[in-house]
Amino acid sequence: MELFSEIYSCYYQVLRHLLLTRDALTLQDIRSLICGEGFEESLLSIIPKLTDGSWDLLEKDGTLYRSKISSSFTTPVSNLEKSYLKALLSDARIGLFLEPQQLEMLQDMLADISPLWKPEQFCCFDRFSGGDPYDDETYRRIFRTLLTAQKQCRYVDIDYTSPEGRRTRHHLIPARLEYSVKNDKFRLLALEPRRAASIPFKLKILNVSRIQNVLLLEKTLSSPVDLNAVIRRTYYKEPLKLRIVNRRNALERAMLHFANYEKNTTKIDEDTYECLIYYNQAMETELLIEVMSFGPMLTVLGSDGFLKILRERLQKQSRLSAMLTKRH
Amino acid sequence: MSDFQELIKSFPKTREYVRDFFVYGFKTRDEFREKSPRTYDNERRRLESWLGDYVRKDHAPKGSNISLAIDSNLLDTNPLFRVWKTKSFTDNDIVLHFLILDLLQSGRELSAEEITECLLTDYETFFDVQTVRRKCNAYEKEGLLQKKKIGKTVVFSSDLSLPDLIGTADNILDALAFYQMAECFGVVGNHLTQQLDFENQSFRVKHGFFVHTLEDEILRSLLDAMNQKANVRLELKSSRKGMLHTADCTPMQIFTSTRSGRRFLCGYLSEKKRFSCYRLDTIKTVTLLDLSEKYDELSSAFARNRKYLWGVSFQSSSSHHLNKLTMKIQVHEPHEQYIVERLKLEGRGGSVTRLEEGIWQYETEVFDCNEMLPWLRTFIGRILSLECTDKSVEKRFYQDLKTMYRMYQIEN
Repeated sequence: MELFSEIYSCYYQVLRHLLLTRDALTLQDIRSLICGEGFEESLLSIIPKLTDGSWDLLEKDGTLYRSKISSSFTTPVSNLEKSYLKALLSDARIGLFLEPQQLEMLQDMLADISPLWKPEQFCCFDRFSGGDPYDDETYRRIFRTLLTAQKQCRYVDIDYTSPEGRRTRHHLIPARLEYSVKNDKFRLLALEPRRAASIPFKLKILNVSRIQNVLLLEKTLSSPVDLNAVIRRTYYKEPLKLRIVNRRNALERAMLHFANYEKNTTKIDEDTYECLIYYNQAMETELLIEVMSFGPMLTVLGSDGFLKILRERLQKQSRLSAMLTKRH
Repeated sequence: MSDFQELIKSFPKTREYVRDFFVYGFKTRDEFREKSPRTYDNERRRLESWLGDYVRKDHAPKGSNISLAIDSNLLDTNPLFRVWKTKSFTDNDIVLHFLILDLLQSGRELSAEEITECLLTDYETFFDVQTVRRKCNAYEKEGLLQKKKIGKTVVFSSDLSLPDLIGTADNILDALAFYQMAECFGVVGNHLTQQLDFENQSFRVKHGFFVHTLEDEILRSLLDAMNQKANVRLELKSSRKGMLHTADCTPMQIFTSTRSGRRFLCGYLSEKKRFSCYRLDTIKTVTLLDLSEKYDELSSAFARNRKYLWGVSFQSSSSHHLNKLTMKIQVHEPHEQYIVERLKLEGRGGSVTRLEEGIWQYETEVFDCNEMLPWLRTFIGRILSLECTDKSVEKRFYQDLKTMYRMYQIEN
């Protein structure tokens, strides 16, 4: 049960797709497929093996190549994959996806398999409590409706309770369901149509657990939208600029801590590094909290906006401390 | 570089390179002092070949930097899964893989001799029986083939009921798409969906730390040992100084930080008679030792101790076994109620009490309050007092605060 095994190799995948092609292939077709699915230099390794017969899996017919295997070829599921599946069946979130009878059927099929891990073997020690209610039937129905809408690019009408307790309605196209490992919650990333033609959609983020009801509409998105372009448009022009002096292992800690942000790090001198982090308004408070958690190990050099809110926090703390000292 | 190969035989060396490029993302050729420039060039070329779309090149004074630009907020897959798909193989491996599995697609049960014969007659490919038998046995171990005896003959077959079921059930494929982004061993789910030609286009993760997939083989070995209740020898490389050392322990549980993605093995060190944690990314190898006779006893002791952990440290610098921390904060009620919610959701079981209007108290008792400092700092701006039985924690908190006032020119 090796994780690093040739049976999962990229080359095997490329070959499988080549061999499942019904029609005979020209060398150019083969090259295009390898370029599209392989690594950047795979062409140099795979083509000679196919043409010199070392990988005798294609029959040559003039200038064409025909697969020797059946076009309905299916790869069996390995023990590693089975034990992975088995582990997922014990997860609290699996009920969002599988019906009880499906779950039972998979349990039966995997009866002889040991799970790759058991929930009790892990402990997320800093996960927030109060995760989403995955067992709740209403939550499950809403989750599935959103997923259907997302996959079919359909509009939905959403009845939502904001964090402030206000009831609001939204007419949106679900773009992704985003899971936060830290909060153990799903959020809906959705496109909200705008009247201005220059930017037809803006990003809307809603907590799935705050959605009271969702109505799937027939109306679909007329043309695909680049979600990442919509997200990037929300980034501030000026990134957060941090200076990291590598003491108390600060560099490695910061690099790992901010690994989920788009960032660019450069070395300034032997012990000093500069890191640019790209973020938007929705990320700002969380990023501020994360930066503060490092204390003096990080220095915020910019942006002006970020520096301002950081200084405000410190000023507030300083005023509080002064007030308390006076009182005593 | 004529001997350059895109695929590799062993994972560990590459794991370190990828990690360095990913985590630090700024090292130039000169800065990889541990390896020869030739090795650096080959590793870098491989990385560019595997992860080309994510490789960023920047010019630096001492040569060009290469780094991996991976923003989990913008991705539907973990690009580093590709690193797991680079294992080299022989010509026989790949030919036999497709021909044997194709031959057995129809549900036939064939012996190694019959398979060898069919390879010749059906595919005009000659292999000796030994080679075919070896591959069939290896695939039986991997679970790709089933093996049974009919009379005195060993026959092999292939069971496709599971991939057929999964491949036609959209909701199972959706589950696989989600879990490969959000759970451990996502690469296995990725292998599976890839074979079924399904890609995730529905889910993203907010706090995804993609680099940690590189530790999954180490993780698997540790889980194996836990299942067997066995002791292990860890070969460790310190992340600060790069020094190598070993530690023998009884593995108890894997601790995961959702804020940095770091994973730790918590184990019992019988020599030192205490529990301790090791970061998975510092573990180079795991060797299985003897079975632990006291495993269940240790599990109970571990469960008793675990409730006093804030993070991963079982002991502090103070003389106390347990340390008590009390923080009072200012909350403008009712519109800052979310701060109280934060204390409750993030406080890991500590008590939260309203002392009077606008003043709330958080209190907890843990082994090592030093670990709480990063969290405590997130309340800067509203802290009225901080008291701890470990005085070094108080001292460090206020010293750091003073340093920050100086850094940002705050009057104090």
